[in-house]
Amino acid sequence: MSAPGLELRLRLPLAPFDLDVEFATSARTLGVFGPSGAGKTSLLEAVAGWREVEAGAVRFNGDTWLDTELGVRTAPSQRGVGYVPQDLLLFPHWSVERNVLAGVERGGAADVERVLAVLELGDLRARDIETISGGEKQRVALARALCSQPKLLLLDEPLGALDRALRRRILPYLLRVRDEFRVPLVLVSHDATEVAALCDEVVLLEAGRVVARGAPSVVFASDEGWRAVGDEFENVLTGAVASVGASTATIALGDALLEVPRSALEVGQRAVVSVRADDVLIATERPRGLSARNVLAARIERVFGESEARVLARLERDGAAMWIDLTSGAIRELELRPEREVFLVIKTRSCRVLSARGE
Amino acid sequence: MSIGGATLDALRVTLQVASVATLLSAPVGVALGYLLARREFAGKSVVETLVALPLVLPPTAIGYLLLRLFARHGWLGADTLGFDPDVLLTWRGAVLAAATMSLPLVARTARVAFEEVPARLETMGESLGLTRANVFARITLPLAKRGLIAALLLGFCRALGEFGATIVVAGNIAGRTQTLALAIFDDMQLGRDDHALQLIGISVVIAFACIFVVERLQRRARGEA
Repeated sequence: MSAPGLELRLRLPLAPFDLDVEFATSARTLGVFGPSGAGKTSLLEAVAGWREVEAGAVRFNGDTWLDTELGVRTAPSQRGVGYVPQDLLLFPHWSVERNVLAGVERGGAADVERVLAVLELGDLRARDIETISGGEKQRVALARALCSQPKLLLLDEPLGALDRALRRRILPYLLRVRDEFRVPLVLVSHDATEVAALCDEVVLLEAGRVVARGAPSVVFASDEGWRAVGDEFENVLTGAVASVGASTATIALGDALLEVPRSALEVGQRAVVSVRADDVLIATERPRGLSARNVLAARIERVFGESEARVLARLERDGAAMWIDLTSGAIRELELRPEREVFLVIKTRSCRVLSARGE
Repeated sequence: MSIGGATLDALRVTLQVASVATLLSAPVGVALGYLLARREFAGKSVVETLVALPLVLPPTAIGYLLLRLFARHGWLGADTLGFDPDVLLTWRGAVLAAATMSLPLVARTARVAFEEVPARLETMGESLGLTRANVFARITLPLAKRGLIAALLLGFCRALGEFGATIVVAGNIAGRTQTLALAIFDDMQLGRDDHALQLIGISVVIAFACIFVVERLQRRARGEA
């Protein structure tokens, strides 16, 4: 078999259920998404070769890493994966630099300087691991994995151990890693925002089974997916920087424009922007005399939930999906229902620029 | 009261015997500790029990077994080996007795030291391409270092105080096999209480220093600064 991408068929016992999954994907960035205890980490460990598998097979780009029927089991060091486990497993008695260089053991000609530059670790290289912050440790673990010249990067809840504010500071680094090194990656997460921002495809895992699979915007809008998305979801929008002013910039989403805080943007760059689902207002008519700078035409696609409700709308011009959290009272009074044309109102300051890069 | 030649002799013999005994028990004890901490094998619990046995058996019993082992017709005696290992009633015998008696402490303390190093760190090292030997030398050993030094010091302390097995295997020959422990026994038998107290004082100072260092090492190994 020589299909590109990752092919998985796994069965392994977990308490209180078995992990039993089978799928093949050619997505460059795959999210494995689901609630805690769904078997996500076990799946990742099986791909990394850190966990015994009762029955199954793991193939990547035509290489067989595991096949219990054929008796094939490639050692973790021979699989060429860069694994960043949730507990990071940095070597506590070494400096930042020595930890990062441990990745070179296997890889040979890694561009260590470039990795350190992209992850902004240059100034920390001489520091002891025990003296740096949680977010910095996360970046060191990423750097070590990248320096091992991985064919596939495996990230287990890279933002999971961090508080919300820090999570949003690390996300841009993950976007940079994805875009600058172009390594295929599998991301395990229970944070829908992270998956929406980073992944081309997502597998929704519940109690050891795959219950939905597809593009994040599709899976999260499905009957199985929307409940798993959880609170505090942030919409992730990608567009081109159209103009840069003194304190704000505009991003073109299709031919709609979104005004965002200026950040370090340059015209022509691709920018990734996040907007919290509960920071978006819905108007049934185009509002006037409003301080909010962004009014985007959209069409409602679905309405979910009863008490705490959520609306899925699609931007008219761009086709991007936006989640909006509202009360059910608001949904009733505005008579929001599928196909209804509405306007989404977003303050400039509600938009956060996560990353930008040249084309 | 001045420190006489007999006291210095006993101190010299004790330090010699305990040092060489520690050199002998260290590699065996550390290897056993690693094996018990990191490997699963058939008969592991039997090995565990055997290693602990000298802790609970009467030291004279261990001494007697060693005596039989190294007697002329024993499994390691002159007849079997084809040469005389010259163990019985010599300082070598005292070393052997002390090493045997301190091995369980070294092995058990070393085992804990290795168990406190997360095995997942070693797996990470291996999956990054380090050989097993490299993982041991560069990750496991440095992280277990404090606990291992504590293990050796504890073994040294145990060897310092060894009495029962030593007197059976090596006898009690002043200037040759008479350690502090044996000399104290002699002095008591002969009513030389002052001299016995002097030797006890010296023993207390050495043991206190060793255990003090062990406690500090183990506290730091547990990350309590």
